[in-house]
Amino acid sequence: MSSIAMQPSRQADQLKVPRRSQPQRQQHRHDRRGIWFIVPFLVAFLMFMVAPLGYAIYTSLYTTKIIGGTVFSGAANYSQTLTDGNFWSGVVRVIIFGAIQIPLMLAIAFFFATVFDLGVAKFGRTFRTIFFIPFAVPAVVGAVMWAFLLEPQFGPFTHAANAIGIHNVDFFSSSLMLPSIIVIAIWEWTGYNMVILYTALRSVPRDVVEAAILDHASFWKIILRVKLPMVRPAIVLLVFLNSIGALQLFTEPLILQYFQPQAISVNYTPTLYIYNTAIGAGEYNLAAAAAVVLGAVIVVISVGSLVFRRRKGQLA
Amino acid sequence: MTASALPRQAETRRDRRRLQRLEEEARTIPAKRYGLRRGTVTGLTVLCLLFAIFILIPIAWIVINSTKTQSNIFETSGFSFARPFVFFHNFSLLFQNVDGYGTYTRWLANTALYALLGGVGATALAAFAGYGFARYSFRGSRAMFYLVISALLVPITAITLPLYLTYAKVHLINSIWGMVLPSMVSPVGVYLMKVFIEVSVPRELLDAARIDGAGEVKIFFRLALPLMVPGLMTVLLISVVGVWNNYFLPLIIFSQNQLYPLTVGIGLWAQRAQNSGNAELFPLVVVGGLVTIIPLIALFLILQRYWRSGLLLGSLAS
Repeated sequence: MSSIAMQPSRQADQLKVPRRSQPQRQQHRHDRRGIWFIVPFLVAFLMFMVAPLGYAIYTSLYTTKIIGGTVFSGAANYSQTLTDGNFWSGVVRVIIFGAIQIPLMLAIAFFFATVFDLGVAKFGRTFRTIFFIPFAVPAVVGAVMWAFLLEPQFGPFTHAANAIGIHNVDFFSSSLMLPSIIVIAIWEWTGYNMVILYTALRSVPRDVVEAAILDHASFWKIILRVKLPMVRPAIVLLVFLNSIGALQLFTEPLILQYFQPQAISVNYTPTLYIYNTAIGAGEYNLAAAAAVVLGAVIVVISVGSLVFRRRKGQLA
Repeated sequence: MTASALPRQAETRRDRRRLQRLEEEARTIPAKRYGLRRGTVTGLTVLCLLFAIFILIPIAWIVINSTKTQSNIFETSGFSFARPFVFFHNFSLLFQNVDGYGTYTRWLANTALYALLGGVGATALAAFAGYGFARYSFRGSRAMFYLVISALLVPITAITLPLYLTYAKVHLINSIWGMVLPSMVSPVGVYLMKVFIEVSVPRELLDAARIDGAGEVKIFFRLALPLMVPGLMTVLLISVVGVWNNYFLPLIIFSQNQLYPLTVGIGLWAQRAQNSGNAELFPLVVVGGLVTIIPLIALFLILQRYWRSGLLLGSLAS
């Protein structure tokens, strides 16, 4: 604590001789007022985040029937969700999606972030700005644009594939749909991740790199052995945040479903499953249970990855 | 502010920018010192160019195809212009209720309203709360902060669906507040503001003001807030983009098309364009998409110097 903070106020000085504990109490008095700065957010947070979550758990324990109304059904909705192969196939699909998309995107993002940080490409500033553009494009619009580009009959990418000798390629077929969505997600998010990694790289002290140069470390060695370890915390954070996002994949498959209804089922991802169970089928209780299960899966995977990394000693 | 103070302010700002650029240069080691051949620099630039083309392909496509008729969108090459040039006709469609399902300009106004109210609200709440967490330590403040942070883990789906169910009971379905109020809750914003305040609002300054007898509220608005501006801009930008791009919540809670934001409207058109062959909706989807992304790209380019991406990392070290 600073010396200024330890001085009693003038008022207290005039009233009585300050005892040793007086400044401490002074500190606490204004500290307690701090709660009023948090109250507005806390009220909104409780109303629009904690309460809905609580309500989801509550709802998931009941079953609504046309005859008999709403009755308590305990874990029935959970056992139905947990044994529903359609739900789990969606979970597996988003895990595969994340397992491919996140490392690929982070590798690309880290590569360009280092190139820009080291200033070894021309027009770095311009490229940086261009790469960031997709962050400003809503996922709905991004998915619509890519749906047109990849469309199996008239899409320019399909034509291009034909032109270079790959015929009858269907980007919306069941085998290529997931890779197509991965490409879209990479297009959407690489720039954002790149900017964060770039900022992290900027904070690596110049002397460290200078020392490596004096030691005749090669360019690639500097990138992999000096720069990469120093931005590891940033990479861990990005893996964590991207995993949470990937497991909730929703907008892109839903928009692509409008263009190619056969290729994307109503259970394609867990969030689509929840959406279609609730809004499509009107089974709110079951959907609430699925939402809670998805939340638990996300917590387990994202926290698990952090704990795993920490145990391996990679997180400082 | 007096008139004489203005140019001085501008000068210091220019100086600051010049200083920033010098600092950036000082931190960058010249490429040749890495012992790179010229070919490597060219090769890396080419790789950047290739990725830039990948990024710009959809943007180029949407610009080119916003000038085409529906049949030309399908029948002509996606990356060349075609006659007739109907951009202005397509653009005029944005002001009409083409298929009876809604008007683009109405959705644009809705989106702007939701983004403004939600974004400003989220920033204000995050600024207060971040300040409270960063500069006061009272009983339970740490626990509360961790509670807020752990909300980052909760999937939007798990919140949105029950929101819809509760809205049905309190008549917030088809109400703009049903969209705006949840948008004001930004745990990320609180986290970023706390981190930013910890490094840019010195405790000593606040304590000095207290000794001078200033009240806590006055200290916040007069002393702390001006120092928080770059952090506020970042949180505002993130929140506005978040609301602007939000699809799931409005998709569920709005059933009246005059309340739709752009994302839901364009999604609806994309769906109807496939299913109902009669109305020419594809040009509408394309030009609507183009007009949707322009304001945000412009906003980013204009606010680039306020954008503190470093903030996202600020406390990673701690």
